[in-house]
Amino acid sequence: MGFQFKYSVVWESVPILLVGVKLTLLLTFFGLLIGFFLGTAAGLGKTSRSRILNKIAGFYIESIRGTPLMVQVMFIYFGLPMALNTRIPPLVAGAVAIALNSGAYIAEIVRGAIQSIDKGQTEAGRSIGLTRFQALLYVIWPQAFKRMIPPLGNQFIISLKDTSLLVVIGVGELTRTGQEIIAVNFRAFEVWTSVALIYLVMTLSLSKVLSFTEKKLEIRA
Amino acid sequence: MIKIKELHKSFGPLEVLKGIDLHIKPGEVVVIIGPSGSGKSTLLRCINRLEETTSGTIIVDGYDINDTSTNINFIRSETGMVFQQFNLFPHMTALRNVTLGPVKVRKVSRTEANKIGMELLVRVGLEDKANAYPDQLSGGQKQRVAIARSLALNPKVMLFDEPTSALDPELVGEVLEVMKTLATDGMTMVVVSHEMGFAREVADRAIFMDDGVVVEENTPETFFMRPQNERTKAFLRMVL
Repeated sequence: MGFQFKYSVVWESVPILLVGVKLTLLLTFFGLLIGFFLGTAAGLGKTSRSRILNKIAGFYIESIRGTPLMVQVMFIYFGLPMALNTRIPPLVAGAVAIALNSGAYIAEIVRGAIQSIDKGQTEAGRSIGLTRFQALLYVIWPQAFKRMIPPLGNQFIISLKDTSLLVVIGVGELTRTGQEIIAVNFRAFEVWTSVALIYLVMTLSLSKVLSFTEKKLEIRA
Repeated sequence: MIKIKELHKSFGPLEVLKGIDLHIKPGEVVVIIGPSGSGKSTLLRCINRLEETTSGTIIVDGYDINDTSTNINFIRSETGMVFQQFNLFPHMTALRNVTLGPVKVRKVSRTEANKIGMELLVRVGLEDKANAYPDQLSGGQKQRVAIARSLALNPKVMLFDEPTSALDPELVGEVLEVMKTLATDGMTMVVVSHEMGFAREVADRAIFMDDGVVVEENTPETFFMRPQNERTKAFLRMVL
């Protein structure tokens, strides 16, 4: 008896999986939104002349990059609440984990992009009397941001896929939903194929949006 | 306008400026020449504090620029600087480059700033390039926009750091022309340059720097025709 791919399983699973997709997108969106702010702050901290800001940003980046996301997730969901004697909803814990994690990588993207802008740009800005902050805001940031887009896109895709790790804390995102369907119908092949394809559709769409944005900004030097 | 006293500047163990004394009067055009590594660009960059001085004082328009009570951003807005590499903001049109200072530093309205900006672009002969981006301009045009950008703040002094050294030879003239007009209009100018023709024709004083000190200074005629110092003579022989 050969294995038979049952298309009916796919059609039955997809509507249920789409419920998980909603959570996956929600987690990705908020995780990256907060992560972008964290990363910008930490990236600027790393380029700042203040030694304290430098150290704080460095500590954050190194401690996140140096530990597995899985451990961070469990630390935030199981560990922290025990120490603080509270409970954190899984969804919040998940979004926080994605935010903290992506923030550390985004910080390095921001730092790299800012440092790649020619020093003469800052000097020209300062020489017309702009403050350090104004020169960053009006002269450096717009140029650096353009350079950030490709690596940011990469990080966005990684973070989207990373939300699948949140199965360990029981967040009902796409991967978890897939597991639950299999627990009922035992059709692992069809369900994981469907799950994988849905991830692929999401990441490909994200790539498309990003390359479109890049082209839009490309029009002007 | 500018008073420099006993100025020393070191980068680590390397002493680049070894005690410079220099007075520049309002409306004076001073050209500084000298071999590369003589410290002339560093001297210029110290005047608007793009480089921190190691010791000595610099007074610009009555303000000690190294005094902590001096608002350096204000001094810089009164001291225009033109760079060898233009350093135009590539993400802004020519007009935006010129108006950034008036809008953000002088807090002038956008309409007013555009008016100032267009007047200046006319002055440097680039009114038709107002909406062009830097990568659509030639080197000479870029440098003229950069000059307009500095002038937009109505500075009391203009510093030029080898403004024509990065230009193709046929584009040098248009930039020097703008600088000549500025000089004629009475702008105080400090120009680091190897344009001997410009120095002879426009400068009130020529200064020769070598190895971190002012070796010789004189009126251009005397400076070029009868240089006194051996090092000046040797340098002029090489470049003329």
